[in-house]
Order: sequence, then C-alpha cells, then structure tokens
Amino acid sequence: MGKFGMIVFSGTTDKLMSVGILSQAAASLGEDVEIFVTFWGLLNFVKGDKKLLLPKEFESFGPQLLKSMQEHNVKSWYEMIKGAKEMGAKVYACSLACDLFGFKKEDLDPIVDDIVGAATFISNTENGRVLFI
Amino acid sequence: MSMEENKIFVDSRGSSCPGPIVDLAKAYRNSKVGDTIEIWATDKGIKNDVTAWAQKTGNQVLSIEDQPDKVVVIIKILKR
Repeated sequence: MGKFGMIVFSGTTDKLMSVGILSQAAASLGEDVEIFVTFWGLLNFVKGDKKLLLPKEFESFGPQLLKSMQEHNVKSWYEMIKGAKEMGAKVYACSLACDLFGFKKEDLDPIVDDIVGAATFISNTENGRVLFI
Repeated sequence: MSMEENKIFVDSRGSSCPGPIVDLAKAYRNSKVGDTIEIWATDKGIKNDVTAWAQKTGNQVLSIEDQPDKVVVIIKILKR
C-alpha cells in the first residue's frame, strides 16, 4: 500500500480541517498515513482545548462556517485525526519545534505518538506522497 | 472451516466527505472475503469515492444506484 505524508506547518483551523479530512480519506484507502506537526501546527497538538483560529482575511466566515459544519455533520479536525489513527495513522511532533517552544512529550496531546526529527519523517515517507500544509 | 457469507449494511446518510468512505473502511475491517457491503449515502462524492476505494483495496463494486433521496452502493469483498 501507498504512503501518504503531511507536514503540518500551519496553525489555523481551516488548514487543520484539510489535514483531518485527507488523513481519514487516505487511511480509509489503506494508506500508511504519517502526520508531522511542526511550528504553528504544533501549537494545536499540545494538551488543552482546541481553539477556532482562522486567517485574518477569512475571519468573518467563522460563525457561518461552524454552523454549516454542524449541519453537514462534519467532525472536528481533532476527531478526524483520531479516526485516522484508529486506522493506523501516526502523528509525530517535530523535535526542533518542540525545543523552540519548550514542549516536552508530557506537554503534548495524547494524539501525538512521538517526537521525531525531520530525517525520520522523510525516511518513513520514502516513495510516498507528501503534502506541506 | 467454511463460514457463511455475510451482508453488511452501512447507513452513512447525512455524513459528509469523507464520512461514507470512513464508514466503509470500518465495515471492511470487520468483513471477510465473500461478504457484501451495502452502503447508503447522501454525500455527492460517494460514487467516485467508492470506485477509487474498491480499485485501491482490490474489491469489486457490484452496483451503484441513484435513488431520489440517496445513493445505494453494493460492494463485494474479494480481498482482505
């Protein structure tokens, strides 16, 4: 089966929605899904409540978008990644970003499998497709 | 030991992309070769998505039927 990797650099909810949807779809097709969270993306993968955060230029869409998502039974990005993990997806936190923000393994959300370096992610996704989000 | 072939029913109506495919993948995990999975969905992507899923996982789409209120797809499990 194929490998599907995502480097999650962005920290806004709209981008994370894409990560959730694509990770679930790829895992459903039987692909090995690897999610590498770094920089602003990493800030959503620490313990605690997940905040809705939209890019400034699209902020006004927030309330309507939330309502529409509820109406269409769209799950949160967090629930979708959890669903993908039930089908074997892995979530790794970037070791450099963890150092820069001062996060240790125990600060990270349980959804994160491990802290790894970029080399591990690149090696794990060899011959696969990788998106930078 | 021979086992009876099962019909598995999945109701994904009201679930948006990629919900129906996720539901199908879950049903697939609990299926065995020879089973059929019938899935009901209202998401517009379902027809192409199940075809892609079947191609990728080596299973067979027996039928895709457009009904006024839903799409009904029947899949035969050939591979586990």
